[in-house]
Amino acid sequence: MKTELNSMKWHILVIIIVCILIIPVVFAVSNSFKTLADAFSNMFNIIPANPTLENYIHVFEKLPFLQITLNTFFIATIVTGFKIITSLLAAYAFVYFNFRGKNLLYFVLISTMFIPFTVIMIPNYLTISCMGFRDNLWGVILPQLSDALGIFLLRQSMRTIPRSLIEAAYLENASDFKIMKDIIIPLVKPALISTGIIFFINSWNEYVWPVLVLKSKENYTLSLALQMFISAEGGTEFTIAMAVSVMTMLIPLVLYIVFQKHIINTFAMSGIKG
Amino acid sequence: MNRISLKKQNGDKGRAYLYILPSLLAFAIFMFWPLFRTIYLSFFDWNMIKPDKEFVGFENYIELFQNPLTYKILGNTGAYILILLVINFVVPYILSFVLSMMIKKGQNFYKGIIFLPSVISLVVGSILYMWILNPISGPLAIIAQVFGVTLPVWSKSEGLALVVLSLITSWKVFGYNFIVVLAGVTGVSQEVIEAAKIDDVPMHKVFWDIILPMSSATGLYVFIITIVQGLQYVFTPIKVVTQGGPNYASSNLIYHSYHEAFVLYRTGMSSAFSIITLILFILLLIIGFKFVEKGVYYEN
Repeated sequence: MKTELNSMKWHILVIIIVCILIIPVVFAVSNSFKTLADAFSNMFNIIPANPTLENYIHVFEKLPFLQITLNTFFIATIVTGFKIITSLLAAYAFVYFNFRGKNLLYFVLISTMFIPFTVIMIPNYLTISCMGFRDNLWGVILPQLSDALGIFLLRQSMRTIPRSLIEAAYLENASDFKIMKDIIIPLVKPALISTGIIFFINSWNEYVWPVLVLKSKENYTLSLALQMFISAEGGTEFTIAMAVSVMTMLIPLVLYIVFQKHIINTFAMSGIKG
Repeated sequence: MNRISLKKQNGDKGRAYLYILPSLLAFAIFMFWPLFRTIYLSFFDWNMIKPDKEFVGFENYIELFQNPLTYKILGNTGAYILILLVINFVVPYILSFVLSMMIKKGQNFYKGIIFLPSVISLVVGSILYMWILNPISGPLAIIAQVFGVTLPVWSKSEGLALVVLSLITSWKVFGYNFIVVLAGVTGVSQEVIEAAKIDDVPMHKVFWDIILPMSSATGLYVFIITIVQGLQYVFTPIKVVTQGGPNYASSNLIYHSYHEAFVLYRTGMSSAFSIITLILFILLLIIGFKFVEKGVYYEN
């Protein structure tokens, strides 16, 4: 009985933390369906008094919103594709080959995780401008074709594959491509999917680099479009801003909810040194 | 590990380099070469537009260390680090301990929700908290009014702006850190904990003497990531909400480097600031690894 009470106390503490984290999201969804007047007079009603789609319609009228969503999707998809392929190849080399400078090379690649973006920001801006990719989606994509986190996570996952499987394949003279396709990819699939989703979500939410590269509204991503609705006093476009917020959150949240277990497990793995 | 047969089969090591090449190229062009170019630029006076750069030697660094503003920004950076560490390192550790020790039912549910904000854009987070914490019309202000309290205009107040921006960032970072720490804490052998429980070792001692040392590798990782990633994540709310103000009170090394480059167009100064940031990060990594080498416990 005493332990039950005790555990109750802790449940309440955890529930408070959960509420602090989740309430903003609930409010955003609720406000996006309210009229501006309703949002201010019935602030604490989660269910809108007169639900309306007006804010969402407004968004499409004021902005090339479909284009902006497609831009965000395009960047996230290409970035994710490249990162997964380059990470998979590098991880394969680090797990199944012995070569000179292997540890040094691995250390150098992984250390990029700790380089602050300000250190590379000016030269990359100059490079992108020089290539003519300023205010162009490719200017956002090009500097992120590989990712140390991907190499790390996929290497961790590949190391769990029994070596005998790969050795047997080598004995039968299977090509690297065949080994990759028939053995490795099927076996590391959960890690591959969640790493991919992590890349996709991060790219979807990215703000710092796109804000430097993209200038015109037709080339904006969702995070940049959202920034246009910020005004310190809440303002007359508040409920529209909430609608844009909801649409910015939607895809990452759906992906998260569908693949939740995989994502959490993969992330949990990222902190365990190997 | 039987590597002999494997080695014989792939004598052609060139393939290994070939597979690493795409990543290496991507990093070389957009990470390592820029890194050296930034070091180079930090010795010049330039504005990104003028055709000629003027070589000034260490002048940018000298000016940087003579400017009182630098110390304000270093102080702010320290304050950000401290707040981020308390919320996203200390609290997740305690919460992980609580969750793994006391709460058996509903663990996955809590994990799922606590992680959720990690997948949401920080621009969204900034907008939401700007509304919730709006000192005049936000819900928190209305609740405070009932108790006769007026909220301060935090975005315009030195000190407070920095705290609120750290809170907004923590909203996003907390869940990830928590999941990683929890994996480390639950990875500690149950037998050791059960034995301690039978011996009636008090809970805080279990935490200090067993959990903490036995999950130290994970702990170190989260400690470093909280500082390195946290300081960079804070950039978004700073840029969106205060632009470093009022009077640079919410700026940090990362934001100021951006400010010098893309607002004041002082490329050399910005580069000097970012190199200082990098040196700080490297020092931090070295200290961290030295600490782990000193015989704290490693899993695996």
